[in-house]
Amino acid sequence: MSAPTTGLTGMSSPRHVDIAVTGRCNLSCAYCFYADEMTSRTDLPTERWLAFFQDLGNLRVMTACLTGGEAFIRPDFFELVDGIIANHMRYSILSNGTLINEKTLAEFEKGKRRQRLDSIQISIDGSSAEVHDHSRPSSFERALRGLKLLNGAGLPLTVRVTINRFNYTDLESTARLLLEELDLPGFSTNEAYPCGATNRYQDEMLLNPLQRRQVMDTLLRLNERYQDRISASAGPLVLAQEECAIHDAQLRGEKEFPGRGRLTACGGVFEQIAILHDGTIVPCHVISGLHLGNILTDDLGEVWRSSPLMQALRQRREIPLDTIEPCQDCNFKGYCSGGCPGGALFLNGDFNTRNPMDCYRILTGAEPYAPAEMKNQL
Amino acid sequence: MAQTPEQQTRYICNPDVVLREEDEDGGLLFNPDTSQVKVVNATGLFIWKQFGTASQLEAVAEEVLKNYEEVPLQEFRQDLDEFLQDMLQSGFIGSVEENENDAS
Repeated sequence: MSAPTTGLTGMSSPRHVDIAVTGRCNLSCAYCFYADEMTSRTDLPTERWLAFFQDLGNLRVMTACLTGGEAFIRPDFFELVDGIIANHMRYSILSNGTLINEKTLAEFEKGKRRQRLDSIQISIDGSSAEVHDHSRPSSFERALRGLKLLNGAGLPLTVRVTINRFNYTDLESTARLLLEELDLPGFSTNEAYPCGATNRYQDEMLLNPLQRRQVMDTLLRLNERYQDRISASAGPLVLAQEECAIHDAQLRGEKEFPGRGRLTACGGVFEQIAILHDGTIVPCHVISGLHLGNILTDDLGEVWRSSPLMQALRQRREIPLDTIEPCQDCNFKGYCSGGCPGGALFLNGDFNTRNPMDCYRILTGAEPYAPAEMKNQL
Repeated sequence: MAQTPEQQTRYICNPDVVLREEDEDGGLLFNPDTSQVKVVNATGLFIWKQFGTASQLEAVAEEVLKNYEEVPLQEFRQDLDEFLQDMLQSGFIGSVEENENDAS
């Protein structure tokens, strides 16, 4: 496939859009990255979302992820899904699973709702109510019920385990529950991030580097046992897999990976954008403090092409790690992408820095320094 | 000379398929019903657009040759046939039934 991009400006329009269709939620999770937005914004009405989905269709957006809050809390949720379908997109859903019932399953059978659905992701954060409910209050049984209903109906179910201090020692049991007892094809992992509700419980929620190391080892071991049925696009498992690749490269005498040695993470700003539930446009739901405009007043295509913040996030990948003070003499810099700009922003106040959570030097103990925000966790 | 039934057939793009014109070198076609993506070069893009309205293959071939004079004729016809077959098999393009013609 030829590279259908136009340099640092990225594509002419996003291919994918994450959309928080509501800020309401029936849970109050301890690590919710969206918690601050939920209390300070109001939902757009049905008609406004449907008009926006037409705009997405005109921009030739291919896929949308509907999230919240809890997406299923909206009584018009499937009307919104139909708006996505009518505008030639596929869709995925992020949900806590607790509101899914037999009626929900029946709704998926109407029109092209099942055909166009890429995945429904349900969050399960432990093997028991005791562990799961610590970060996701009073929801384990209901989430599990929703998960089983979706699985039984043959809908494209995925499960996300967000690793934090409450559940990092429970991963073996969680894997047993999901992969053996429930016989799911797999599940994905990430870790709690220092934003939203987590900011209020940082000492209780965030993994420290020693715990992250333990999780990395555990996930590698579990993946060996379960034939790579555990996946991740970020977080401890990715760190562990990349660390293995770095080790192998070093043994072969390779000092760098292609495209690394710069702040190349993440590529999301070249392909996708996100919308908060009041229409605010942001680069990504995780960095919801960087406002690019609002769909009520701004043209999304114009924001995508011309927003100075989007341009700055895209230009981040031009910054060599050589020019970043803690990375200059790092043995890993040729293999490193600098990590998530969101983590860099939260922990250093500047996205044009490395993310300490993704730093191999900190993980290997080669760097004694840690940002002020992380010091109490070392 | 009379056209064979095959030559008379008219073809049209699946209206659900999304065309993203990424740059001057071409674009990609996305079928949201199947998730399938096809990358097309500038000529492929031109051909795709000809099928935006129901068209016979011969008419499209003529239009392409008018716009791409440097294309070697025999090679082009084979490429065009393969392009259409691939698009038909994957549901990106469909043939128009005669009764649909009458209706339209």
